[in-house]
Amino acid sequence: MRIDRRLLYSFDWMLFGLLMIIIFIGLLNLYSAGASATGDPPFLKQIRWIAVGLVLMFAVMCIDYRLIARSAYVIHGTAILLLVLVYFYGNVTHGSQRWINLGGFSFQPSELVKLTLVLALARYFNDHKQPEAYTIRSLFVPLLMVLIPFVMIIRQPDLGTALLLLIIFGSMVLFVGVNWRSVLLTASTGLLLVPVLWNFMHDYQRERVLTFFDPGRDPLGSGYHIIQSIIAVGSGMFFGKGYMHGTQSQLKFLPEQQTDFVFSVFAEEWGFLGAMLLLIVCLAFILWGLKIAQQARDFLGTLIAFGLTMLVFWGFFINIGMVIGIMPVVGIPLPFLSYGGSSMVGLLTGMGLLMNVSMRRYLLHHD
Amino acid sequence: MPEIDDRLNRYDPGEYRNRFRVLFWIILVAVSLIVVRLWYLQVIQGQDLRVRSENNRVRLREIKALRGIILDSRGVVLVDNRPSFDVVIYPEDAKNVRNVIETLEGLYEKHRLDLSEDYSQLLETKRPLMIYRLDRNVSREKLALVETHALELPGVSIDVMPVREYFFGESMAHVIGYTGEVSRADLEREGGGTYKSGDLVGKYGIERYLDPQIRGKNGGEQIEVNVVGKKIRMLGRVEPTVGYRVVLTLDSVLQRVAWDALEGKAGSVIAINPRDGSILAMVSKPGFDPNLFNRGISPENWEKLTKSPLHPMENKAISGQYPPGSTYKLIIAAAGLEEGVITPQTAFNCNGTFEMGTRTFRCWRKGGHGRISLHRAIVESCDVYFYNVGRLLGVDTIAAYANQFGLGEKTGVTLLGEKAGLIPTKEWKLGRFGVPWQPGETISISIGQGFNTLTPLQLLNAYCAAANRGVIYTPRIIKRVETEDGQIVQEFPPEPKTTVDVSRENFELLAQALWGVCNEPGGTGHALRRKEADVCGKTGTAQVIGLPEGTDARQIFFPYEYRDHALFVCFAPMDNPEIAVVVVVEHAGHGATAAAPVARKVIDAYFANRNPS
Repeated sequence: MRIDRRLLYSFDWMLFGLLMIIIFIGLLNLYSAGASATGDPPFLKQIRWIAVGLVLMFAVMCIDYRLIARSAYVIHGTAILLLVLVYFYGNVTHGSQRWINLGGFSFQPSELVKLTLVLALARYFNDHKQPEAYTIRSLFVPLLMVLIPFVMIIRQPDLGTALLLLIIFGSMVLFVGVNWRSVLLTASTGLLLVPVLWNFMHDYQRERVLTFFDPGRDPLGSGYHIIQSIIAVGSGMFFGKGYMHGTQSQLKFLPEQQTDFVFSVFAEEWGFLGAMLLLIVCLAFILWGLKIAQQARDFLGTLIAFGLTMLVFWGFFINIGMVIGIMPVVGIPLPFLSYGGSSMVGLLTGMGLLMNVSMRRYLLHHD
Repeated sequence: MPEIDDRLNRYDPGEYRNRFRVLFWIILVAVSLIVVRLWYLQVIQGQDLRVRSENNRVRLREIKALRGIILDSRGVVLVDNRPSFDVVIYPEDAKNVRNVIETLEGLYEKHRLDLSEDYSQLLETKRPLMIYRLDRNVSREKLALVETHALELPGVSIDVMPVREYFFGESMAHVIGYTGEVSRADLEREGGGTYKSGDLVGKYGIERYLDPQIRGKNGGEQIEVNVVGKKIRMLGRVEPTVGYRVVLTLDSVLQRVAWDALEGKAGSVIAINPRDGSILAMVSKPGFDPNLFNRGISPENWEKLTKSPLHPMENKAISGQYPPGSTYKLIIAAAGLEEGVITPQTAFNCNGTFEMGTRTFRCWRKGGHGRISLHRAIVESCDVYFYNVGRLLGVDTIAAYANQFGLGEKTGVTLLGEKAGLIPTKEWKLGRFGVPWQPGETISISIGQGFNTLTPLQLLNAYCAAANRGVIYTPRIIKRVETEDGQIVQEFPPEPKTTVDVSRENFELLAQALWGVCNEPGGTGHALRRKEADVCGKTGTAQVIGLPEGTDARQIFFPYEYRDHALFVCFAPMDNPEIAVVVVVEHAGHGATAAAPVARKVIDAYFANRNPS
């Protein structure tokens, strides 16, 4: 494999810099969020995962994304296979079967599937360009690509990740253009499926949805998370309580404070001001990602960059929306800030792909 | 630039430019939603949510203040504080609360003991609690049990609460009162500002009257806790302030004597210093044990106290209302002399009966006293003599003098629950019953029967007027309120209330006659005759029901509740009185035989123990 020297000149320092800022903020915040925990400080483990992720990021960056895209279906198929393995051999934690043990470390294939789905869909839409908008019938294969892992993940159960897959699929389909009648048809079928879905949902998931609409209905039960989170965020006020001085987080009133609710810790300690700064960095990161998509050398690059950026964007929006009470608590992590190896490694690998597209925007085809 | 051309041929992102623009706006709207929501939570609602986060982490633990002690005029401690022990559990330290409680219950069962509190609430709540009371006011046995099995009972501990210890128990219960947990009604009335749920407050007597002074100020600790209620650190501590202590005018020695003298009877005794209105003793029988109320009285005990026909909870000295009987003759005589309807020499013939219209009124002595004038009429308590005086005065004149002597209105003693009694007038009867006053009723009034009622304290105060030859003081029972180290906070000096408008000579005549009651042959209060001090007094027998003519009201074989009340009121010495005593023994018959001996014991004790000062 030969690396073109020009790639070095077109290394996307902006994207990398923004990414490093976000990761640094995440580590800083995780240090505070985990300060009251017993056992290994989670932020040290997180540093290890970041290192692994960065290695993978640079590795992925080096291989031309078109080369990778050639194996897109195989990769996506493998990821789905891992989900099947999880179904049979996965480890159960907190009542859900999400983890698979791979020679000493466990990991969540569902985090991988998010990436492979973007890749597979990009490949498919690139290969099947249509002069007209896509119809439901022409979307049969992409639907299979998303629905199989969707069903596997929702059975784990992991409602958040499953929904995120659907949202990424929806975003990409809307982007490539879809027949509006098909959209309406799908939407109405989807609405009709809601009661069916409701039937399949676990009690705790139903509770979460109900709690979203009325957090006060069970303040010590399922509403507890969101109420404590809102108290944490609001009590930060304009300037915050100060780093390591968030009472809601340090005294553990805030649940899941290292994973799903890390943003609440940040908002409590850094206040409105800090939250705004973080949002600006995240917004810049996403807009930069869209710029990469827009300036990609080919349609495949655009689709990959677009899908990955959407993955990050929806992660930010749904997670923050959830902890500040404008979204139901569906349990998806905050990209780059939540503690979690699979999520961090998966995302960094994905960002390698994004950098990959960015670096090759001026290059010619070699074939 | 062939490369560029090539790229444009293969892929034109232009057609997607619009979609990127739409996307850009979608992202902006999404971010704006978050910004607006954060602004709302952190800036608009920030202060409220900050308070809620503080409430999450800060627990206030009250440190109960000790109530001020209460002393008698000799400096004897009447009421102090003692610790009361509760068995509590700190759920955070217990690990498995249910197991620990079951272990404790098992230990109790072995010794046939029970937990006093219901702990189902503790097991059901999801809210982290710092402390929960399992058993209140436990016995020494339970205390020992819990302490010796501490290792098997993780999280279980003993909490100390200060409660009152009433050294004089029943004998002072009516005056000092008792304390108990603040009632819901009190909490609502005070608006939560002064009292908090669980506070110990004065419920009765001095404890209630001076509660704001005695209560002290609770201190508190601010403790930072984490989500499971575990103490992280102390944020601050305010020490409690001990309540002010109270010095009463009571003399515990005299009080004890008075209580013992009433042994086995129902009624009341008051001893007072007529020269300044200081109450030296005040007992009401039967009594109740104020210690029962400390941590909440049991329903059985409460029912026993409230359902008793002898009304142990009532302070009969200030809220018992009785017809004064012959003790009222002092007022009739004073009115007669002042109004000039009689002179000391005026004599009436007593043949045992007195005719008024169609009714016949009798003298207590069947054969009558013969021709009798004022002095002997009081000494021998001749009814017919006073029927004549009363008829000459009329009911309204009698009422005017009675009012001057402070009857028919509260004395103003600083105790709660005082009654005013009743002094009837013509107008009062017309208003009350719509029927005019009957002349015969005036005849009954003349010997203290009929409508008029008064409290023992009122009666005593009226005799203080005779003792002082005119001046009446407001009875006082609180001498002063002072701090723990003796600095005076509030004084209750003697307060002259009124001066009765009766001449000095007439008061001397009356005092002579009252002396005669106790010291002359044939006097009804002969039991009080003593060499050391000249006791002046008057017996009285108050009818409970009107009896048909020809019935002897003083027979002993008569249902208890219809028997007459025995009264005796006196002061001593005659010329420079230091003490006045009233005794009312309910349903005991003769004042001379049932009440006078009680007064005698109190007077004897007073002169035996009095301070040389």
